[in-house]
This record gives sequence, structure tokens and C-alpha cells, in this order.
Amino acid sequence: MKAMRSARRRRYVARADVMEVLYRVYLGAIAAVFILAFLAGALHEVPADPGSVAGIRSDAPAIIGIAVAVVLLAGLRAGARGGPLAIEAAEVRYTLLAPVSRRTALRPAALAQLRTAVLFGAIFGAVVGNFVFRRFPGTAVEWIGSLAAFGALVPIAVLGAALLASGRRLRIGVATAIGGALVAWSVLDLALGSNSSPTTMLGDLATLPLQHGASPGLAALGAVLTLGVLAAGLLGIGGLALEAAQRRAQLVAEMRFSASVQDLRTVILLRRQLASERPRRKPWIRLRGGSVWRRNWQSFLRWPVVRVVRVVLIAVAAGGVAVGGFDLTPVLFVLPGPLLFIAGLDLIEPLAQESDHPTRRLLLPRGSAELLRTHLTAPTVAMAVVLLLAALAAAAIGGNPGLALGVGVVVFLPLAVVLVCAAAVSATNDPYEFALNPQLAQTVSLAPIVVALIAGFLPLFVAWKVEGGDGAPISGALGMDFVLIVLALVGLAALTLRFNKREREAQ
Amino acid sequence: MSGGGAIAATSGGRSDAPLSAHALGRTYDGYVALGAFDLDVGAAELVALIGPNGAGKTTFLNLAAGLLDPTSGEVRIDGHVPGSLEARAALSFLPDSPVFYEDLSVVEHLEYVAALHEAEDPEARIDELISRLGLDGWEDALGSELSKGMKQKASIALALVRPFKVLLADEPLDGLDPPSRDTLFSMLAETKAAGAAIVVSTHRPDVIAAADRCVAIRDGRLAYDGPPDPKVLGEIFDRSELEGV
Repeated sequence: MKAMRSARRRRYVARADVMEVLYRVYLGAIAAVFILAFLAGALHEVPADPGSVAGIRSDAPAIIGIAVAVVLLAGLRAGARGGPLAIEAAEVRYTLLAPVSRRTALRPAALAQLRTAVLFGAIFGAVVGNFVFRRFPGTAVEWIGSLAAFGALVPIAVLGAALLASGRRLRIGVATAIGGALVAWSVLDLALGSNSSPTTMLGDLATLPLQHGASPGLAALGAVLTLGVLAAGLLGIGGLALEAAQRRAQLVAEMRFSASVQDLRTVILLRRQLASERPRRKPWIRLRGGSVWRRNWQSFLRWPVVRVVRVVLIAVAAGGVAVGGFDLTPVLFVLPGPLLFIAGLDLIEPLAQESDHPTRRLLLPRGSAELLRTHLTAPTVAMAVVLLLAALAAAAIGGNPGLALGVGVVVFLPLAVVLVCAAAVSATNDPYEFALNPQLAQTVSLAPIVVALIAGFLPLFVAWKVEGGDGAPISGALGMDFVLIVLALVGLAALTLRFNKREREAQ
Repeated sequence: MSGGGAIAATSGGRSDAPLSAHALGRTYDGYVALGAFDLDVGAAELVALIGPNGAGKTTFLNLAAGLLDPTSGEVRIDGHVPGSLEARAALSFLPDSPVFYEDLSVVEHLEYVAALHEAEDPEARIDELISRLGLDGWEDALGSELSKGMKQKASIALALVRPFKVLLADEPLDGLDPPSRDTLFSMLAETKAAGAAIVVSTHRPDVIAAADRCVAIRDGRLAYDGPPDPKVLGEIFDRSELEGV
């Protein structure tokens, strides 16, 4: 097995275009340095006041613990469905059906997955630490070290939990119950001001420089428990159900191909299949009538519980991260936009289905662009609700409800249009339209995500500046609304042009 | 047969049969794909498993191979639970859809599978299979470079390159040309003569005729278990359901 894997690795390296890989790494590094330098220059962070520091010291570990517990819940559920490993169909057929230890056979795949996740987690943690130390007590080394360790341990915990769930063949209900209990435990920690949950202990690790040596033991215990979960997961990895492995092998192979051609829509559809996420047979509320508006709501009203929960959690996470941006570092403002974009991809499903079936659409006695615009109304209203939920979450989590609700009220409508348009542009993208120009294809695929990032970042950043005394509230609000409206118009124009072009080409 | 092929069954469980299923069942959200299915296949016995599409043939084979978990009943391979090391060593599965590592050639696949199963003198066995199945010249081809028929031949070679006591084959003749079908028939006969228990899922009358026993499934239930008598089978199935019966 070892010899075969070494031979395959050698062959892969021999076939890889080294110059292409180096070019991508070079571009990535330049972009990362540019963004970091820009943020470092733009933020001008000032030390946080003692009141904020005290609040963060007491509440942040539990809040971070809740976030980690939610991610763990997702990991456990993925494990109960046979994840997180994605092995080839041939590996299932030949290696896992051979009389060799499945643990030995599967461990390299698990470690490879872990390596990548840990590397990215540690880098992200270190980058955040690099900004946080400017505002809070503690040295750069302490903050970068503790947040890099936290960033590395979170994927370890998630992958470990998922491996444990798949190896032990936990039922989805049991996995959800365990994950839910962890979330509840951290919520209890927040309410009681205690540090008893393992995920709260990881929160202690993330805020270690603030604790003045009060909780290094708890942070260390959190790290040890995390590594214990991983060890248990790796030990039990051989118990993986082949039925799930085979199913995942097929779907993940298709997903990888779709991702390689930047076909995000297919990736989403395959991910739903992987998660067995099907519309409810019986809608939450039955709506009659056949308008486009109703057709969209009929779709939302058939969302399975898991999708409803996911979108609500995304809203809460976006609100929580925005609060984190105000309290810790504004770098975190880059996260709400992409998070809400994911919710947008769920909301845009009816329009995406029109795009999936062009023949059906072209047979309708209406212009495609007009149909498209009608399809955007319901998702925009739904996205506005999601944004208000995010604002409410921010108001509940942060110490400044007036600011959270104020920002929410000022931007929720234009931001909703931008996010829905970005999701619509992404979901209706034809990955083969620019097949002969891969750089252009990548740009077209990435553009909606970047627009969502900017649209999420901008209002929060302006509000942060205004709160810091740098600019007037009214001009700030008008300015950000203007930019969002421009982005929304650009999105609408792009969609109209795209659908008109497709209709012309079909005639 | 050196290295690969059938080896004598050494029953370690409650039944003497190399393959034994009792009240075996599998349901999907209430849909019964296979219900309370009983089957014993003895050493040196070739069983044709027949039935219309969706009857439960592939479900049974996947359960026996350990690729699916039963929702009721049990199945034993040489006395062991499917998926156990012993069962994996004893069972060779030839599925209906061949799959390959995208970056291994045909011969590398054969070497790898032979090594995993500790086949003796694998080189000779690999050469023999390549020659008999008409894979000469395709040894270094990747899976993606093979035609449908060639993929099937490579898949057959992969099933036979290693030692086994039980062979499960799902529609093994699909995609094969007539000479290759003849080769496969003679290989199955040799495998049976060497003592292997063989279950072949099929719609083909020539396979049914070559079998020692015919087991018919309909709607997930055992509909017939006996000699491959066309008259009896014709009473169970429509002509449209089963080719040539």
C-alpha cells in the first residue's frame, strides 16, 4: 500500500505543472501581502478602553466557545453521514475490501486533510493575532501565538469529532444531540460566567494574553481534550461505513470536478445531495397560486429544518463576527459578507433552477431578463429578514444595541439587493462560457464573492470609523448606501445582460 | 491456478456454506429493497441470481460484499461477517460498474490488488489473465483510456487476480464480445472446479444454463430456488422481465 501510494505521489508530482503552481503561489502571496499591508495602514487601530477589555476578558471565551461548538456540531453531523474523508471509489472497492487494516489504509487521507486545514487555520489565526495585539494588552508574540494555536486546534477538533462520529457510526440524531449539548454547555458558560465547557476552554486559548495567567491551565486542558478527540477519531477511523464512503466517493469526485471548473452551482447541488438535504414533502405553510413571487415563497416554505437552521446560524454568526470586528479587530469585517453570500445561494434557488433549465425558461411567453428581475424580489425580502436577524444578534451579543440596530436599519435593504444579486450572478454563471480563458473564468467566478465581501465590509468599517469619532454619522450612512446602491445596480445590469445574451443566442 | 483464483473454503462460522444468508433484509426509508432473504451457496457451486430490474439482486451482492449494512438478518462469508478481515480475504467482488484509480495503469492495478491480497506468484497470474482476457497491449493504459469492454475485462482480471473462496459477480458479461464471453465462461468453470462458491447476477440465458442452481428474486423476496429449469422460470417471470426465459 505504501509503495503504491509513493508511486502515485511521484507520478502526480511528475505530471504537475510546477511553473503553474509556483505562479499561483506567487500571485497568492502578493495578494496576501497587499491586503495585509492595506489593512494595517487603513485601520490605525487604537488601544481598547479598559471597560471593553474587561468585557471581552469575561465574555469572549464563552462566545468563541459557542461558535466552536456550532462548528463542531456541523462536524459531528458530517461524520454521521460518513464524512469528513473523501476517498476515491477505487480505494473503497480495492483497498477497503482487501484484508488489510482499514485504519492504516484511511489514516493518510485523514492526516492529509488535517494538514491542510491546520495550516490554513493557523495562518488565519496568526493574521488576526497580528491585528488584535495592536488594541489589547499583550505582546504580538503572545497574540499571534495563541490565535495561531486556536486557529490550528479548531479544525483539529472538527475533523476529530467528524472522524469519531463516522468511525463509531453515530446516528445523525445522536451526533446532533451531542453537538447541541456542547453548544448548550457553552451558552450556559456565557450565562453563568464560567469556563467549564471544552469549547469555552478553546475560547480561553484564543484570548489567553488577556487572562494574565488566570486560565492557561484551562486553555491547555482545552487543547489536550481537542487532541484527545483527534486521537480517538484516528483510532476508530476503520469503522467507517463503506456504504457512506462509496456514496461520498462518487459525489465528492463530481464536486471536485465542478469546483475545478468554478461551477459553484453544481457544487452546491452536490453538497445538498451529500448532506441528504431534500425539500420537505409537506411545506411549512401551503401557498396557493402561481406567480413568480409565490413560487419563490413556496420554495422557501419547503426548506428542510437543517437549511432553516443554517441560514439563521449564518445570520447570528454574521452579527457575532461584526461585533467581534468592533471589539477585537476590524479585520473580522471581511467575514459577514461571504457568510451572508452563502445564505444568498440558498435564497436564490428558484432563480437558479430557471437558469438550470434554459429550454423551459425560453418557452415561457416572457423575456428572460424580466423573469429574472421578478425572481429577485422574494429573495431580496428574505435576505432583508436575514440581515435584520443579524442586526438583532449583534445587538444581543455586543454592548451597543443602538449601533447594531442603527447600522442594520440604514443598510439592510441595499445590502440585501447586493447580496442577492451577487448570489444570482454566481448561481447562474456558465462555467464553460470562458473555458478558453481560465483567468477570465476564475475572475467571473470570484467576482460575486468579492462583491459580497466588500458589501459586508463597507458599512461595518464606516460605522467603526464613525464610532471612533472619524466622520459624521449622516454622511457615513449616505456614503455607504450610495456605494451599495451602485453595487446593486451593477449586479442587476450584469444579470440582465447575461440573460438577454443567452436569449439572443438561443434564438 | 497460481496466486489468484479459488482456494478451498474453511468454514469458521455456524454454516458450512462459504456463503450463507439468513433472513437478510435491507430497507431504505421504508422501501424494502431486500426482505428476509435466505441463501446458502456451497463450495464449487455456481448460482445464477436472476430477477427483473430493481428486484434486489445488486442489493444482495452489496450486502454480501460488505458494501451495504443489512437492516435485518445476517450474511456470512466463509463463516465471517462481511467487512471482517477474514471475509474480505475470502470474497472477491466483481461489480457491475468498473472503477479504477485514475493514475494507475491496468497492470499496476493488478499488481496492487494482488499485493493487498498476498497472492502467490502474482506476475504469472497477471500475465495469464492479461493474455486470456485479451488485454495485451493495454497493460500500461490508464482506466480512462479503456473502452467499456476493456474496462469490464480489466475489472474481471482484478476480481480473479487474487485468492478467494467466494466470487460475487454482478452482470459480468455486460459489454463483452462473444470470444471474451467464452473466456469468462471457461474461467468461471475453472474457478468453480477449484472449489469456489460463485454467485452471478444475470439476465442472460447462457449464464442461467451454465449454472448449477438458479435463485430468482422478485420485489426483494426469494421467488425461486432450484435447478435452472426454463419452464419453471417462465412461469415466474414474463419474457419482458427476463431475457430468453
